[in-house]
Amino acid sequence: MLFSATTKHLTLQTAILGSLFAHLIASADAAPAACPSPIPLGLTTALTGNLALLGTQARNGAEFAVDEINKNGGIAGKQLALSIEDTGASSTDALNAMNRILEGKPLIIFGSMISPHIFAQTEVVTKSETPFLVGATNAKVTSQGSKWLFRTHAHDGQLADLIPTYLVKSLGKTKPGIMAVADDYGLGASKGIQAALAKLGVSPVAITSYAPSDKDMSAQLLEIKDKGADSLILFGRPADVTLVLKQMSDLGIKLTTIGNSSMVAQTTLNNLSAAEADGGYAIGGQIPQTSKDAKITDWSKRVFDKYKVPADNFTVSYHDTVYLLKDIIEKTGCDKAAIRDALAATKNWQGMLISYTADSLGDLTHTLGIYRNKGKTPELIGPINESGY
Amino acid sequence: MGQLVVNGLALGSIYALVALGLLMIFNTVQIVNFAQGQLLMLGAFIGISGAVTHELPIATAWAITMAAMALVGIVFMALVYFPLRGRPPFLVILTTIAMGIVLENLALIIWGPLPVSLPSPVRGAPLRFLGVVVSMHQLFTFATLAAILLLQYILLTKTRFGILMQATAQDLHTARLVGIPVSRTIAVAFAFGAMLSGIAGLLVAPIFLAEPTMGGSLGLKGFVVSVIGGFGNLPGAVIGGLFLGLIETFGARYISSNFRDAYAFIVMIGVRVAWPRGLFGENSSAKV
Repeated sequence: MLFSATTKHLTLQTAILGSLFAHLIASADAAPAACPSPIPLGLTTALTGNLALLGTQARNGAEFAVDEINKNGGIAGKQLALSIEDTGASSTDALNAMNRILEGKPLIIFGSMISPHIFAQTEVVTKSETPFLVGATNAKVTSQGSKWLFRTHAHDGQLADLIPTYLVKSLGKTKPGIMAVADDYGLGASKGIQAALAKLGVSPVAITSYAPSDKDMSAQLLEIKDKGADSLILFGRPADVTLVLKQMSDLGIKLTTIGNSSMVAQTTLNNLSAAEADGGYAIGGQIPQTSKDAKITDWSKRVFDKYKVPADNFTVSYHDTVYLLKDIIEKTGCDKAAIRDALAATKNWQGMLISYTADSLGDLTHTLGIYRNKGKTPELIGPINESGY
Repeated sequence: MGQLVVNGLALGSIYALVALGLLMIFNTVQIVNFAQGQLLMLGAFIGISGAVTHELPIATAWAITMAAMALVGIVFMALVYFPLRGRPPFLVILTTIAMGIVLENLALIIWGPLPVSLPSPVRGAPLRFLGVVVSMHQLFTFATLAAILLLQYILLTKTRFGILMQATAQDLHTARLVGIPVSRTIAVAFAFGAMLSGIAGLLVAPIFLAEPTMGGSLGLKGFVVSVIGGFGNLPGAVIGGLFLGLIETFGARYISSNFRDAYAFIVMIGVRVAWPRGLFGENSSAKV
């Protein structure tokens, strides 16, 4: 009797609990996953060593956006906490930096634009099942098979295709010389450019490179000139692109020059005279200097006032990435898999200068800019889409 | 061809200036200062702070840089050399490498990562002769190197200070016993060594831009030049520097630009195999 009453009581209790549990599950399906307070985010980037100028742009863009969001009340009332670890210039240090970031169990991790660092970090981030957003420009970064990795910046594969095509078809040059920085970034692009030129039926008259620490590129420039080039495809970082343009001017070499966005980076233009900079073309991630939008001009000024480094295409990209994630978290909550799925489903999300759409590999940037320097002022000739977009 | 010679010699002049700074310290304390390149970087940034940030006349900026670098040299000695003197030389050498890293990061904090240009102290249109262009700054660099070589030669061989330096290098303890102001001599050598790096920095910044990491590669090339020319040898440092500049420039033009840095080390190994004490022989004081 007693047993029967107890059983009935337990059955009733189980039924009530079961119904409550079912209700909770149903609620969980509808409501975003709860977020911790503060919401932990991680960033690894080069803040010291010879890649610091690049790496600080990632920090500046992401940190500036996080500060803005926090000042405006955070995400659903929760503040963002961005942990930053310095990778230096080495891939080993980049992996160590990532392990330190992972110890903090971040909801999302931002990686730098330095591809060898991202290659070294992808495996551990993938194992941690954390959305990993990078600006690394090696085309193969998103072909590593990680469903957690996304890229929000233009990559070398796009540039290697677009730069030769624009040079040959729009500028009518058929005897280019190539000069690229001799590292993963430049040499990868140089190979891609050579392949794209071959498809266009054009052979470069000279293929040269320089070490990242090289300061004198006059021998390479003289080779390109002596071999009868009518143009120069230049692929490097702002400091060395500045030197190449200066040395071309010193040697009296006048060639139509086209390159990556370093050609129009403010850090390049600051160290050139108007005559040295004038006429240079660039295709790359979109830069804020050419925008006429007062909001963007004001944003660039505030970034410069805070960091004393002019904002560039990477600053824009990392800034956009943080705001994209804000929108996603507001919809999906703080569930990593849901954030990943939302990133993979991104379509026409409007950033500061371009809109972002995820492709099957996890690349979100498909619109680049064509620029030309008028004196020391870059002008946007127009946006250009990668093939197929 | 002529243009390659001019550009190779201009690059080699910078290497030679770094090597002359190394030589000054080596000839006194028999220590290779691997932070010489970072001292060059510091000189460039101090010059930029004066001439660009504070818009001082370029001659004033140079004078301030020289004074500041002399002070930096003495502080460097107090931090790196004095606490470790008498210990195995490799400890001091490792400490100079560590100090180089510290200086690089310090510059990053103070001046930031942006590359900056310094105005040249000389202006004017470049000279053009048979298609060869020689800039006024290149001519100034050649003239500065020649003047420093002459002054350093007189200082080391014709003055009382030069004799004191040699005595200190040969046997520090005996030098002290016979009344030579050893600490002061070493301090002056470090101050001169840092000033020479500062001059190299002031000459490099107008053509190569200044950035915190610029010193690493140039310092290493200065070391290679010293090995090629013979460590501590004055003509060896200059001829070795010019030789290396030409090798790199011609190698990049006629062999491959991909291996430009490798040429320096291949030549260094080749010279050491053929001439174990360098092209001009090492300073004999270490052997006495």
